Amino acid sequence: MRDFLLQNCWLVPFYGLIGALISLPWSLGSIRRTGGRPAAYVNILMTAIGFLHGSIAFAAIWSQPTQNIRQTFEWLQVADLDIFLTVDISPVSLGALELVTGISLLAQVYALGYMEKDWSLARFYGLMGFFEAALGGIAISDHLLLSYALLEMLTLSTYLLVGFWYAQPLVVTAARDAFLTKRVGDILLLMGIVTLSAEGAGLNFSDLASWAETSPLTPIAAALLGLALIAGPTGKCAQFPLNLWLDEAMEGPNPAGILRNSIVVSAGAYVLIKLQPVFTLSPVSSIALIGIGSVTAIGTSLMALAQIDIKRALSHSTSAYLGLVFIAVGLGHVDIAFLLLFSHAIAKALLFMSIGGIILTTSNQNITEMGGLWSRMPATTTAFVVGGAGLVALMPMGMFWTMDKWLDGDWQVSWWLFAILLFVNAVCAMNLTRVFRLVFLGKPRSKTRRSPEVVWSMALPMVTLTVIALLVPSVPQSWSFWLSLTPPLDNSDSLITQLATPGLIASGVIGLILGATMELRRADARPIQVYLRFFQDLFAYDLYIGKVYNLTVVWAVAALSELTAWIDRLVVDGIVNLIGQITIFGGNTLKYNVSGSSQFYVLTILLGMSLLLGWFAITGHWSGTIADWLSSSSS
Amino acid sequence: MLSALILLPSIAAAIVGFLPKNIRADRPRQIALIAAIAVLVLNLVLVVGYNPNSEDLQFVENLTWIEWLGLNYHLGMDGLSFPLVFLNSLLTVIAIVATKESIERPRFYYAMLLVLSAGAVGAFLAQDLLLFFLFYEVEIIPLYFLIAIWGGERRTYAAMKFLLYTAFSGILVLASFLGIVWLSGANTFDYETLRSQGLPVATQVVLLIPLLIGVLIKIPIFPFHTWLPDAHVEASTPISVILAGVLLKLGTYGLLRFGVGLYYEGWLAVAPTMATLAAISALYGACCAIAQTDMKKVVAYSSIAHMAYILLAAAACTPLSLTAAVCQMVSHGLISGLLFLLVGIVYKKTGSRDVTVLTGLLNPERGLPLTGSMMILGVMASCGIPGMVGFIAEFLVFRGSFPDYPVQTLLCLVGSGLTAVYFLLVVNRVFFGRLTQSLAKLEPVLLIEKLPALVLIVPIFILGLQPSWMVRWSEVEATALVKTDQQITIAKAKSEQNQDFETNLISANEIGISEQIKSN
Repeated sequence: MRDFLLQNCWLVPFYGLIGALISLPWSLGSIRRTGGRPAAYVNILMTAIGFLHGSIAFAAIWSQPTQNIRQTFEWLQVADLDIFLTVDISPVSLGALELVTGISLLAQVYALGYMEKDWSLARFYGLMGFFEAALGGIAISDHLLLSYALLEMLTLSTYLLVGFWYAQPLVVTAARDAFLTKRVGDILLLMGIVTLSAEGAGLNFSDLASWAETSPLTPIAAALLGLALIAGPTGKCAQFPLNLWLDEAMEGPNPAGILRNSIVVSAGAYVLIKLQPVFTLSPVSSIALIGIGSVTAIGTSLMALAQIDIKRALSHSTSAYLGLVFIAVGLGHVDIAFLLLFSHAIAKALLFMSIGGIILTTSNQNITEMGGLWSRMPATTTAFVVGGAGLVALMPMGMFWTMDKWLDGDWQVSWWLFAILLFVNAVCAMNLTRVFRLVFLGKPRSKTRRSPEVVWSMALPMVTLTVIALLVPSVPQSWSFWLSLTPPLDNSDSLITQLATPGLIASGVIGLILGATMELRRADARPIQVYLRFFQDLFAYDLYIGKVYNLTVVWAVAALSELTAWIDRLVVDGIVNLIGQITIFGGNTLKYNVSGSSQFYVLTILLGMSLLLGWFAITGHWSGTIADWLSSSSS
Repeated sequence: MLSALILLPSIAAAIVGFLPKNIRADRPRQIALIAAIAVLVLNLVLVVGYNPNSEDLQFVENLTWIEWLGLNYHLGMDGLSFPLVFLNSLLTVIAIVATKESIERPRFYYAMLLVLSAGAVGAFLAQDLLLFFLFYEVEIIPLYFLIAIWGGERRTYAAMKFLLYTAFSGILVLASFLGIVWLSGANTFDYETLRSQGLPVATQVVLLIPLLIGVLIKIPIFPFHTWLPDAHVEASTPISVILAGVLLKLGTYGLLRFGVGLYYEGWLAVAPTMATLAAISALYGACCAIAQTDMKKVVAYSSIAHMAYILLAAAACTPLSLTAAVCQMVSHGLISGLLFLLVGIVYKKTGSRDVTVLTGLLNPERGLPLTGSMMILGVMASCGIPGMVGFIAEFLVFRGSFPDYPVQTLLCLVGSGLTAVYFLLVVNRVFFGRLTQSLAKLEPVLLIEKLPALVLIVPIFILGLQPSWMVRWSEVEATALVKTDQQITIAKAKSEQNQDFETNLISANEIGISEQIKSN
């Protein structure tokens, strides 16, 4: 039985899909009498089955002699192109699958409470099932084209989930921006896939490493290929310059936000990690990865500081941590990238569950209008504290052990990386403390005065995840390096290694103190100092990146399309219509020549002939023939 | 067997057309529908008997028609024509169902629709150049009427534009056909015979150019495209479906069958230019689509962009890319058909296609939620979201063309990315947002109105998930269309012989003429 479940692990993503399909009659309104609840239960059940199946398989794989089971399905064979979709079942991929189904299950139970009053509950659950199917597929996919297809499914379901409340204007633009931003990355990724495939690489991730060793690419081609492949995950992980969609996507329902901020962004990074062998082809790839990661990590950490929307204040730090993942992949520290993803996913999911409760009970997202919730919502407060502690390297929780592992001498780590880690850690701690103070401490304010603790359906997953988050530290501690191609180094006597643990704790403490002492502003109070105002605006408006895009890319596409349409209407079609006009005009004019007098016709013929002859005489064409003709007629 | 595909709709058209005037109003529709379904069933029978692994023509019928002209009634089916014939019969049924029941002059309308369908089938099946040309021209007449009588406000202008463009296209195609018959000294218009002609490359290019312009008008490719947006906007919904789904394919079919098939070496010579033209057309169509405010025009311009991929694939001319070209034809036929149907529903219910007027139509109670959902699906299929047929067709096109034309392929990929821009703008404006009061009293969409769109969604998904069911029909034929290096060398040798022969002929002629002159 266990073996059977393990062999058929590829079924797990389909459970979510089946749930989504079953909920179609409810979401399309064919069944109205029961409301959307049955669809919700069906989806939760399917996810639970998937989680159970995955758990048994996950337990079973450890006892297997070979811990890598690869299954191939022939999909398409045409001319010289063979596409075998491959599924890779290993402890890592099953672990990822567990994470996906587990968080999805918790988020769906959570949504029972959060979405209780929504009229289109069935549509929401159907989309969640679809979402989960795509994520689960990515976890076990070993084929680039399959992963691409699943990433596109994610793009589509993100669009639909963000656009869930499509009647609101902000939602409409948010859904559009999410789709188009991701699409930019995806198209570039597709370019990369087409190139890879045309260059003879089998699209299996497992074969990429051996292909990369013998790759026939020129340096420029390898660099471009690397950049194209990076672009896809850049969009998915909300990295600069494709980072703004995640912030806007916070307009969507919060249970989807739990998934989005924890595992959806991780899915992009997961694919990125699997593509890592290709990035070894060109130094440009790793420079780009590190550059993108660093800029995003620093930039979005700062942006988070000035946000007053509770979801946006946290979503920016998602980009920041994913930036660290990008850096890790760029350096080839694949195991660390995995651990970062894992620790971040659990902590962020918990944080989003916590703030979901706050949003629901206060019907408010503006943190400057909150306060004093700690005594009213103890479970939610605990969840926030545990989640925050898991995200910041201060207490011995997930992220602390992960970062510590990065710096403890197994890897070659430079000073700049150490600095970035400390910076991100400090700013994140500061931001979380700021949010905590605004939301939970202080006196209750008008919007938080009547706020009871969340209902059981939300409390149960929240508390469960709190417990899980407390257990997370065991994973980075016991992680043996599964994925790295090179064996770990031993630099334990380098200065960074020795400074690592105290440095991390110190940065966390500094962040905490800064956050605890910084002046909090309520409602629309603004600093008086000009420089503070400048920075507040700069960060609050995402470094004006959105405005810059509007003035450059968006403007350019709009202007170009207007220009093309203008040319199409006036020039291309204009010429066609002009020819038509000329023909009609010509015909109308010439009809007056039909006079019936033969003299006129003879004159016309004569004129025509002389024009023709004159033309021949000038160009010399056929002159020989004419000469010949003249000479023969004279004789 | 194949004649039945042409005769059945033709006879039905005659019956419908000559029905007595006082017949019940829905009778013509019923007869037309029965005939169209019969053709579809016949197609399914053909599927069973069709052997996709053979590169020979199947179900051949060959009758001598006009012997002194070299015209034979020669029909046959192969991997190139088979998917298109099937597509045509499916879309004909859908177009008939999608026609509103209260249409004016139903007898004439349905007769014309059936003639149109018969003409398209004939063109796809013809194995004789002149026969192809006849069917190619036959299909213009019903479509002219269908636009000019049952069209929108500017229908006369649009129909006339269509007529002139397409007639011109036909003349150019005919010129090319006559040219190849004369220059190769054959006394027949038979396709297979002419395929093995060995004309020198330069001559081939000269003959190819008129043919190319002819099919580029029909496909249509920039700068010969301006008839299409007008025709689509003015045509009624079912006619738009047929026009986009079937008639544009006559152009690409002609391109593959005759451009690549007859003038292989000549085609290779002009292919780089064509690939560039395809990239320009794809981007041009996409950019124009972004700026449109009429939903139907957006879909029409997207047709221009998507059809350009087929030209790109044809230019690459490998077994993979040519198979991909056929897939893209099927994919575009299904997806654009779906989009036109949905735009048609929106127009019928709201009376507008203007994206600046419509908003919030996804509203579950008073809007068009199912139409909106299907629109999102159709749009996503057109954007190339995996799981639907658009993705795999485009992927095969790009994958097949990339080794030969990397830059053009990447530009086309950008065009594919722009698809998301214009279609998302449409969906966002028309279906998202708050339903305005003026749009709040929409009639519910009846099942019969949704049915055609629902039917089209099924193959879009099935072929997207299981593309080998689409690819297998045409792969062998696409491979056969590509000549191996060896075949090219043989053809070259033959053409050199011909050239010698021709120069001899010309010099002999010249001597003859000058002698004649001298004797005067």
